[in-house]
Amino acid sequence: MKAKGSFEKYLNRSGWWFVAPAMALFSVFMAYPILSSLYLVTRRWRGLRDSFIGLGNFVRMLHDGLFWHALGENFLLMIFQVPIMIALAMVFAVILHHGIRRFRGAFRLILFLPAITSLVAYSILFRILLQTNGLANNIMQNLGILQQPIAWLNDPFWASVTIVVALTWRWTGYNMIFFLVGLQNIDPEIYEAAEVDGASKVFQFFKITLPLLTPVILFSMVTSVSGTLQLFDEPNVLTNQGGPANATMTAALYIYRQAFVINSDWGYATSLSYVIVLLAAVLAAIQIRVLGGRNK
Amino acid sequence: MSMAQARFSTPRFFVYLLLVFTSLLCIFPFFWMILGTTLNPNDVVKGTLIPGSELLNNFVKATKSYNLPLYFYNSFFIASVTVILGVIVNSMAAYGFEKFRSRARDWVFSIFLLTLIMPQIAVILPLFRLIAAFHMLDTHWAIILPFSMSAFVIFFLRQNFQMFPKEIMEAARVDGAGEARIFTQIAMPSMKAGIASAAILLFITQWNSYLWPLIITLSDKTKTLPLAMQSMMSAYTVEYGGLMVIVTVSLIPVLVVFLAMQKHFVAGLVGSIK
Repeated sequence: MKAKGSFEKYLNRSGWWFVAPAMALFSVFMAYPILSSLYLVTRRWRGLRDSFIGLGNFVRMLHDGLFWHALGENFLLMIFQVPIMIALAMVFAVILHHGIRRFRGAFRLILFLPAITSLVAYSILFRILLQTNGLANNIMQNLGILQQPIAWLNDPFWASVTIVVALTWRWTGYNMIFFLVGLQNIDPEIYEAAEVDGASKVFQFFKITLPLLTPVILFSMVTSVSGTLQLFDEPNVLTNQGGPANATMTAALYIYRQAFVINSDWGYATSLSYVIVLLAAVLAAIQIRVLGGRNK
Repeated sequence: MSMAQARFSTPRFFVYLLLVFTSLLCIFPFFWMILGTTLNPNDVVKGTLIPGSELLNNFVKATKSYNLPLYFYNSFFIASVTVILGVIVNSMAAYGFEKFRSRARDWVFSIFLLTLIMPQIAVILPLFRLIAAFHMLDTHWAIILPFSMSAFVIFFLRQNFQMFPKEIMEAARVDGAGEARIFTQIAMPSMKAGIASAAILLFITQWNSYLWPLIITLSDKTKTLPLAMQSMMSAYTVEYGGLMVIVTVSLIPVLVVFLAMQKHFVAGLVGSIK
């Protein structure tokens, strides 16, 4: 028999062996890049040569109108898209859970279907469907909904609407699944008790369903807000590199273009990415504070 | 008369109408895409309900002028190797973190979790420079290695391992089994459902990945399907028919996995919010 101390050492050593491969990959491909970015933000590239500029990159970004415009677009999309999507996801989750008995599984499957498409694939489909002489306009004109075709992709206002519509199509079913799981975890007896007390369906929704789903809603909101803040695929593919005329340029797309397309100023691009990191952290903290604090 | 029939009132009718309408909106792009594989470019854009006769032609265009088989192979190779490597590395880590608790390892796990909120754009810039320094640009491994280890998958599998009783491990030790054997022959086989969900998650994330391959890929050698679609879309004359073929082909594996393994698919999502 081994002594107790040596058995504990043996367990500890075994534990490190199991986590070692993941730690190795993490150190090389996650920890090192993040740490090395601290060096990158203090450098300025001109062509292939770089030199130290201290906090110069952060001073430079203050005067970078297009970057702030792009970040503004992120917030605009976020303010309209996230609430619309969360509300729709909630409506469909409640309908599927409480409202119907038949074909529940089939509708759940179909409404989730958009969430399995790659962002590039659906962006391309939407880009072709929404051409000014394309199918979406044709259908709506034939049905008499539209008199004139809408320039979905070529008008600055409608291009933003297009992205909101596309994001909502892609992600509503995905969030609905979370809400459905949340609804399944609510004890039906709570509703029965409320029914006995004569509470209306609307009252039940606001006083029982919503409060009990708060953690799930919080999860959906935090991931959606963070996703919108990092939005890249849709403005690059669907609205063709942030077009028209940078109207749908987002921060991540702008940073990508700074580093890989327009010029290769790694230091500046990395500094800009710090703004997104900071905003993602602050927005997540605010949401957790506002929504998460209530249930404790 | 049953309850269900009695309740089929007017509001219920509108609820079903809403669901049918929304379902049509959800399915329509897929329907139009599949129809599009048989149409000439002009009809793809304008749209028609009658299948055309261009399917073979479109397929030839996609495979001859755009090398669809190579892109499919690249996507498939990258996603499959990511799954194999990812399942091994992440399940080992999840098992190590859960069954061999120590203060130091808990701390490492928290650092892993912290990176979940890290926006991708902030990681890939320095990561690109690292890959370039390794002379690994334009290789499959540059797309596979950084995304095979996933803090989210480790977190998810760790939840699953909680249900695996420690007593079994202790009994196996008394019987003289080594830790590697306990893990591969007892713990892993009892976790099939969790592993399946993790594998689906890893496969789909990598199969659909866009930003990182876009940066790393310099030639056709490593080009994946999403990149191929995008370059077809930005061509001077867009071959809409051939494009519909590539988009359809890119969606088939995910659709098959999703329909075949719905339970695990949803289980993967459920595990992540608990």
